[in-house]
Amino acid sequence: MLEYLVFLLVVLPVLSAVALLCIKNEGPRKSVVIATGAVLAFCSLALFAGGSFQLRPQSMLGLDPDVLVTGLDFALLAVILGIAVKLKSPLLIALGLLQILPLGYFEYSFARHAAAGPSLAADNLSLIMVLLVGFVGSLVCVYGLGYMKEHEAHLGLKKTRQPRFFFFLVLFLGAMNGLVLSNSLAWVYFFWEATTVCSFALIGHDGTQEARANSVRALWMNMLGGVAFALALIAVYKASGTVLLSDLLAHPGGGASLALLAAFFLLCFAGFTKAAQLPFQSWLCGAMVAPTPVSALLHSSTMVKAGVYLILRLAPAYAGTSLSSLIALFGAFAFLTTAALAIGQSNAKKILAYSTIGNLGVIVACAGINTPASIAAGVMLLIFHAVSKALLFLCVGAIEQRIGSRDIEDMRGLIAVMPRAAALTVAGILTMLLPPFGVLLTKWMAIESAMASPLLVLILALGSALTVVFWTRWAGLLLSAPMPAAGLVAPGAAVQAASMRIPMTLLAYGAVLAGLASPLIYRSLAAPFVSLFYKGAAYDVSAGSFASGAGTFSVYPLFLLLGAGFFYALRLARRLPARSASAPYLCGEQTGDAAGNVFRGPLGPVAATPANLYLSAICGEEVLTRWINVIAMTMLAVMFGGIL
Amino acid sequence: MTSKFLLALALTIAAPFIGGLVTGIDRKITARLQSRYGPPIAQPFYDVLKLLGKDRMVVNMWQALCPVVTLTASALCVFLFGMQADLLLIFFVLTVGGVFLIMGAMAAPSPYSQIGAQRELMQMLAYEPLLILVFVSFSMVTGSFKIADVYAYGRPLLPQLPLMFIVLGYALTIKLRKSPFDIAACHHAHQEIVRGVLTEYSGPNLALIEIAHWFDVALILGLCSLFWSTSALGAATLLAGAYFLELVIDNVTARMTWRFMLQNALGVGLALSVLNIVWQSFNN
Amino acid sequence: MSLTDWINKGRLKSPWVVHFDCGSCNGCDIEVLACLTPLYDVERFGILNIGNPKHADVLVVTGTVNHRNKTVLKNIYDQMPGPKAVIAVGACGLSGGVFREAYNVVGGVDKVIPVDVYVPGCPAKPESIIDGVVKALDVVKTKLGLA
Repeated sequence: MLEYLVFLLVVLPVLSAVALLCIKNEGPRKSVVIATGAVLAFCSLALFAGGSFQLRPQSMLGLDPDVLVTGLDFALLAVILGIAVKLKSPLLIALGLLQILPLGYFEYSFARHAAAGPSLAADNLSLIMVLLVGFVGSLVCVYGLGYMKEHEAHLGLKKTRQPRFFFFLVLFLGAMNGLVLSNSLAWVYFFWEATTVCSFALIGHDGTQEARANSVRALWMNMLGGVAFALALIAVYKASGTVLLSDLLAHPGGGASLALLAAFFLLCFAGFTKAAQLPFQSWLCGAMVAPTPVSALLHSSTMVKAGVYLILRLAPAYAGTSLSSLIALFGAFAFLTTAALAIGQSNAKKILAYSTIGNLGVIVACAGINTPASIAAGVMLLIFHAVSKALLFLCVGAIEQRIGSRDIEDMRGLIAVMPRAAALTVAGILTMLLPPFGVLLTKWMAIESAMASPLLVLILALGSALTVVFWTRWAGLLLSAPMPAAGLVAPGAAVQAASMRIPMTLLAYGAVLAGLASPLIYRSLAAPFVSLFYKGAAYDVSAGSFASGAGTFSVYPLFLLLGAGFFYALRLARRLPARSASAPYLCGEQTGDAAGNVFRGPLGPVAATPANLYLSAICGEEVLTRWINVIAMTMLAVMFGGIL
Repeated sequence: MTSKFLLALALTIAAPFIGGLVTGIDRKITARLQSRYGPPIAQPFYDVLKLLGKDRMVVNMWQALCPVVTLTASALCVFLFGMQADLLLIFFVLTVGGVFLIMGAMAAPSPYSQIGAQRELMQMLAYEPLLILVFVSFSMVTGSFKIADVYAYGRPLLPQLPLMFIVLGYALTIKLRKSPFDIAACHHAHQEIVRGVLTEYSGPNLALIEIAHWFDVALILGLCSLFWSTSALGAATLLAGAYFLELVIDNVTARMTWRFMLQNALGVGLALSVLNIVWQSFNN
Repeated sequence: MSLTDWINKGRLKSPWVVHFDCGSCNGCDIEVLACLTPLYDVERFGILNIGNPKHADVLVVTGTVNHRNKTVLKNIYDQMPGPKAVIAVGACGLSGGVFREAYNVVGGVDKVIPVDVYVPGCPAKPESIIDGVVKALDVVKTKLGLA
């Protein structure tokens, strides 16, 4: 049974992807994508119901699975090398060779690395990731159906390129499932490279010059991580004689040898590149040239989450070392600086990208703080962030298709044009920003678990204050429209295709309900994982409140009181009589137009064009990025140097 | 537990009266400082009662929605304070109020309200880090973020965190909309770009925001009192002194720009906090 | 006392004023502002010069109404939530004053919006302006049925 579930989760997407590559018609494509998504969601639930497991598949397609994976690994690297040669990029060729050679050495010298032990395993962290891929990832793929139709119509393509798009999109889900279910680092490495190739293909999908350039950047940065990973394989095996994660984590907290610590650093480095941590943030920012479902997938349930997954996964192994505290500082630094960078941005997708990097930074910091409370915070943030961020990306995609811009300044008053999408965006923003929702709960957990280090608390707290600025103003300007004369919703408002609308709505409900269910999520998902590796309970959860020695966060009371206030306010606002509508104040010189911001000037109407303060002299990319990169690289160097 | 709950409830009911009274005394003292006679102490209550009785006038439905949420959040903060809850939690709930106030102001396309909202955001950017630093410094002394532990600590915090009290003073000045930091809107008659962030809120909606402000005043005074939590008399002296100083600063300074506020509040505030926290961690 | 009684008490104790200069020579404007000074200190009566019609209860208009600004006057009046009162201050506000016959002048404030209290003078004295506001409160009282 278990084998079938794992097979369905990892191999079915591959088969579906191949089928999608061959399907040229829309109808069958729709059925295949929806069916695959449904199966993945169902299987992830079934797998979760079964609980944690360890598994050693005996044969696959008549071959020894280890041999198969090794063979596929070399094939994949050959493909990457082929891409590198085709692009005539010496850097990529070098990075490709730097992976093939160590891997060859590894497989040749330590051929028996897989001789014993389960190559697949899952505990709660893996199962959470599988659930995220199964639900959030599938919803994003379904959204892609409606989105790509519109997207290609907009581009005016003669021949549809959707088969290629959905091939990689669905393949991505399989690779991600494989990555989180693998117990052998050699297997993780294979899936790791598979996600790199998929993201390269998807980022460059539109084939424009910018898309190509950004996909190449994503490729080389992730290959850098791949090189680190390949070297780590050798280092781990040399230091400990095993590449099985379960063996490496068998003695949590037991002082790892220096060589092993160096190997862990290499793995974390690979995680940093994949999670787009500083100074590698530019590949994720550049990835937004891709069609929106790609961004949504990269940011929420796959790719970047693989990076933090690895770092969180290894956290018990490097607990209590100076590497751990440096990782905490590194993550917190990313959180603070990306919050500042996001303040300087008016490009919605870039704001989301920086916010993603920042939140991943918090997860990295949580892994580095390495207490039961912080690990629980990291695991929970993984969930809440995936749902909210997927929602926000899908909303921005829908908005961009309608208004032709992703600049938040162009989204002013969107509530009158696209009421549903705008309201969902505001909901997504509020779940990212405010209590009692999950993202904020985990931020609270992170700050309080960092209490031993004032510097860390300082950085996290400052970052948290900065995030308020860029979220609030975005939510506010979406609502900036005069009351329509008839009713609350303007006539002729846009409606998205069902395949786009339904995933967005489901994710919004998911984001709110996940916040409401946070005590349950803690008890049934995060706490069991934490207790595997750490002694002592992180939080005492009773009556919907999280309590620890450091403080208390009352989820249910807050939901009850703030929720009651909100719904009372909503009822009040909805029942406003039309006569209470008044034009915005323009010194009595309003022209009475629909936009509500046009002055009667001496020579004709003058529109007031408000704009946000972006503090570009302080928070601009061109001001900050260089310094941030220098500091981040120094921190990486110190981390590495500190071990040696 | 029940007695704590009842106390918190009583505090939540009393808070707007305390806040309103403080505002009334504030206006009276300010008038006297300007050699005017000044309004009656109960003037803020008359103002709010009148506003509650005015016709509703909104630009859109969000303007009616946001003040209610802001008021809920502010009242909840005071309630949490009464429950001696987690300081960080109170901080985050306080953010809810600020965020909805700004969203409601941005929901109106009038340029005055928009500029006011941006400035209010800058104010939040300036006082939020300071407030959170004050809470962090509390936690460093008492070992937890719970207010209950501040009371359980048994000694006044002021001698150990003197600089943090000044930092809280900065946050107080900004949050109470006092000069030189009253850049998003201000009380009293002198206006800021019409009425800044409050321009488009009118009648009952403005009344709700005013009541929310009273709750905030009560909360901030409560936070100040934590610096001398061991003695009621000490706390009262501290509060009276701090508030009077606040009034003097309000009356002797002119309104500055948001750039000045960000540089000054964050620069000085962060420097003082780091000094105090470093000194404190060496002391431990 | 019921809540309505309390609110009515508030209404009489807190008249917030918005001052609109409709084309005055600034004589009356200076006198209006003089009311705020320590000598007259209208805040004693809860009067605030609020500068925003959406917050105001009383509209104080100085100067003649002309064809350019009559819509502005009307808009500002319309943007004041009720209950509200209007005070015309000075000879020009009352009737158009010495500019009454000019080609571009509409006349007094009451040609555009209903005026409750007329405060004469050229310029009107601060005392009489304060008196006008108090009179306006009587008008409000009558409107509320309290007189």
